[in-house]
Amino acid sequence: MKTQRWFTPWVLTIPALAWLLVFSVWPSINTLRLSFTNAKPLGGDVDFVGLRNYTDMLHDGDVRTALLNSVVYMAICLPLLTILPLLLAVLVEKRLPGISFFRTAFYVPVIASAVVVGLMWTWLLDDRGLINNMARALHVVAQPVPFLTDRWLVLISAISLTVWKGLGYYMIVYLAALGNVRKDLHEAAAIDGAGAVRRFLTVTVPGVRGTMFLVSILVSVAALRVFSELYILTGGKGGPGGKDQSLVMLIQQYAGGFYGNFGYASALSVLLFAVTLVPMIVLARLNNRSER
Amino acid sequence: MRIFRIAAAAVLMVSLAACGDDSPTTDSDKITGNITLQTWALTPKFTDYLNEVIAGFTAKYPGTSVKLLDQPGDGYSEKVLAQASSNTLPDVINLPPDFALPLAKQNLLVDVGKGDDLSKTYVQGGIDAYKFNGVDGVYGYPWYLNTDLDYWNVKQFKDCGLDANTPPATTQELFTQAATMKAKCPDNFLMSRKPDVSDFVRAGIKITSDDGKQFVFNTDQAAALVDQYRDAFAKGYLPPSVLNSDYQGNSKLFTQGKVAWTTGGATGLTDFQRDNPSLKGQVAVSKALDTPPLYVQGVSVSSKSRYPATAKAFAQWITNADNQNKFGHLVNIFPSTLASASDSYFGSDDGTPAGKAKALAFGELKDAKNLIPYEVNADMQKLLDQQIALAVKGDVTSKKALDDAVAKMNQMLSRQ
Amino acid sequence: MKALRYFLLAFVLVITVGPFLWELSTSLKGAGEDIYTQTPSFVPHQPTLNNYAKVADAIPVWRYIGNSLVVAALTVGGNILFATTAGYAIARLRFRGRSVVLGLFLSTLVLPGEVTIVSQYVTVRDFGLADTLVGVALPGMVAALNVLLMYNAFRALPQEIDEAAIVDGATVPQRLLRVSLPAVRGTLAVVAIFAFIQAWDDFLWPLIVLTSPEKYTLTVGLQYLSGTFTQDQRLIAAGTMIAFIPIAILFSALQRYFFRGVEEGGVKG
Repeated sequence: MKTQRWFTPWVLTIPALAWLLVFSVWPSINTLRLSFTNAKPLGGDVDFVGLRNYTDMLHDGDVRTALLNSVVYMAICLPLLTILPLLLAVLVEKRLPGISFFRTAFYVPVIASAVVVGLMWTWLLDDRGLINNMARALHVVAQPVPFLTDRWLVLISAISLTVWKGLGYYMIVYLAALGNVRKDLHEAAAIDGAGAVRRFLTVTVPGVRGTMFLVSILVSVAALRVFSELYILTGGKGGPGGKDQSLVMLIQQYAGGFYGNFGYASALSVLLFAVTLVPMIVLARLNNRSER
Repeated sequence: MRIFRIAAAAVLMVSLAACGDDSPTTDSDKITGNITLQTWALTPKFTDYLNEVIAGFTAKYPGTSVKLLDQPGDGYSEKVLAQASSNTLPDVINLPPDFALPLAKQNLLVDVGKGDDLSKTYVQGGIDAYKFNGVDGVYGYPWYLNTDLDYWNVKQFKDCGLDANTPPATTQELFTQAATMKAKCPDNFLMSRKPDVSDFVRAGIKITSDDGKQFVFNTDQAAALVDQYRDAFAKGYLPPSVLNSDYQGNSKLFTQGKVAWTTGGATGLTDFQRDNPSLKGQVAVSKALDTPPLYVQGVSVSSKSRYPATAKAFAQWITNADNQNKFGHLVNIFPSTLASASDSYFGSDDGTPAGKAKALAFGELKDAKNLIPYEVNADMQKLLDQQIALAVKGDVTSKKALDDAVAKMNQMLSRQ
Repeated sequence: MKALRYFLLAFVLVITVGPFLWELSTSLKGAGEDIYTQTPSFVPHQPTLNNYAKVADAIPVWRYIGNSLVVAALTVGGNILFATTAGYAIARLRFRGRSVVLGLFLSTLVLPGEVTIVSQYVTVRDFGLADTLVGVALPGMVAALNVLLMYNAFRALPQEIDEAAIVDGATVPQRLLRVSLPAVRGTLAVVAIFAFIQAWDDFLWPLIVLTSPEKYTLTVGLQYLSGTFTQDQRLIAAGTMIAFIPIAILFSALQRYFFRGVEEGGVKG
């Protein structure tokens, strides 16, 4: 049976495709082109330099550090932000008195201003901050824990901030998906005597599997592109020695201001693209396999 | 947040090709036509003042009009970069010297010193701020000046065995008094910043080679200074948060009462007290340590202006003694015109703390020097800051940190 | 059980709303109260609404809100329309090149956003849209993320609902509008919220595109509160709260749709 005319799918997809080609793909191709040049932000001659930006990258210790930071960041964020928001969504899914207030409140971190978030988190994590004061009062530690100045602790602190912000964001993605999980399955399972945990694992999780896949991709891409959390917590400096910089912070450093190295920043962007592609392909493979 | 700089930078790149030169009609030496004036974060507080200046100009030169385009404080460099790249710079622009330098190098600004002896009108320090290594000329009229003062927390001084009437006057005294404070009050901090390039200049260390092509401040003397900070940090004279602090970090720590010292302009006192009114009467002010810094804001003229004569005339108008004096009466900043010295307002201490700050700062200006060479741009300062943080924390030796910083900064410099 | 739920809810609440509460209390603090204290103080001791009035005096808040609403409306409209059609086609229609199109949307997701703004400005300028609100809205009117969200939602619908409609002789637009769309209202609401917030909160892009202060969006206009010599944290906080209110309204209005899933769309499995 013929269910559609051949051009219908294209009529439906072409506007979105065209938009992305003009505003995402084309600028990216341009970035690729610039990555082979010595382009500067302001004027001057632009020369083709071949692969020099890429070979420079290999010997750049900052790039290695940033890459390592980004990968660690992703490895920790991925499981946390794929699972915790789902649990939160299940928690607020049920209609309880005042639940819409909670739903809105949980979304607040997503839209809180970066400056204020930075201020509050510094209050928490500073040497004289809430956490250190409590820990010292309880004699858990003798010396304040250097949450904001130790190379790895800064990373962990920033990850907490990312998780904190991401909870509400991915929660609403899950909420919309939970609405589509068929209630009769839940009821059937409940009649079979399945407990809450069992029902979550056998009904809810399979019901939102596609969404979990999408969320895991979004989380890994966002984690590899982390910028503002590290920026906020380290006053824009990327920690002592710049050891807590992410790739995006490096890109900004090279591309920003009146004197940048735009060619090098473009090459770093290409590297970032390649790196973000990896988890996406891996996750897509996993998803395909489990679908079969 | 500030990914934006990339965007702006990128915009420039891409538009390079598109930069068709629609050459301005320079036929008019007459002062006429519609021009635009771009200021930096001055409205709405000074809208009335700016409109008055504009009204005075258009009344003097009939047939002219000036459109005020005040830009928000955040993102100004990105905005200017985008304008510069797309040939849309306003006719008259408020630019600090470090913004003017790259634009001047690309011939985007008018040499306002050509055929005009600026030193008859403006103080030398102001003019020098708009003269750059490697380009001839003066690329902006000096506008308002400011410097830094030291602000001290009176209560913490008293509680910790110090006298706020005799605060440190030099960096070395700062170290000794910090030791006193630490001994009496182990939980308080006197020092609130780690060293930066201005501290090296203060100590007389040479920053660049004579030809301006290389940074050379990685000397033993500079390393010894960083060592001093490292030891002070180890002894707990500085709070650990200085390792991350940004440009305004010390004033925020000061306002919170976490440290007993900060630097700040002559307007600083008002800011601290507005944020934390409990600081009223608790802040002592004194002259800057060692050499006071000089901060200059200026007004430049776009070389692409359609009405260059008008734009130049307006830039002179807004920076003339009369208009600058009026500005200085509204807020604690100082005129860059020679004639303003005869305005007794600036040197007078009316007995209020803010009045004292104003008088002190005005007195300081004659010794004030630019302490951050314009070659050292914001990115380089960040690189240096990162390395110094590492050294102060004790992770690497001061010499190695400075060597690393200089190497990276030289790399950046060579690319310009 | 219910008590446990509320306990958990309250626990997460405490974690999430701290910065928001601080901003709110700062915006209500009188001129005689400290802002930066060693430990944050959340209770204004001299509560006042003065700061809000002062914001309205200092900057044309209503005009900025109007400009922001224009940009947000265009962005939301564009995403709802184009993400729905594209998402539906990839999820529910069979055609050659379908997987290529899907792959394209997925890979657009990982294009580093930091550099895509790059030539967007030039493009917008070449379209003659510099210094216009349409120019601000244009690049954000289709986001790959939203296309994928809609794709994911349509894909989750059971195959049978289309088959039944096809038997009834429904065309593709009819199937989309009458059968599938009502079932994915929850995701549509999410897309609307994401698009709105993206448009509403953006700072640098409108700053670059717009030059005339009277065209500024709210985020850019609010920056005037942090002037060179005039930063009053209370006013800045009040401005931030003003910017927050429309988002809160939209969110509260739309969040009930999250739960109108399949069963209420009239296609009970």
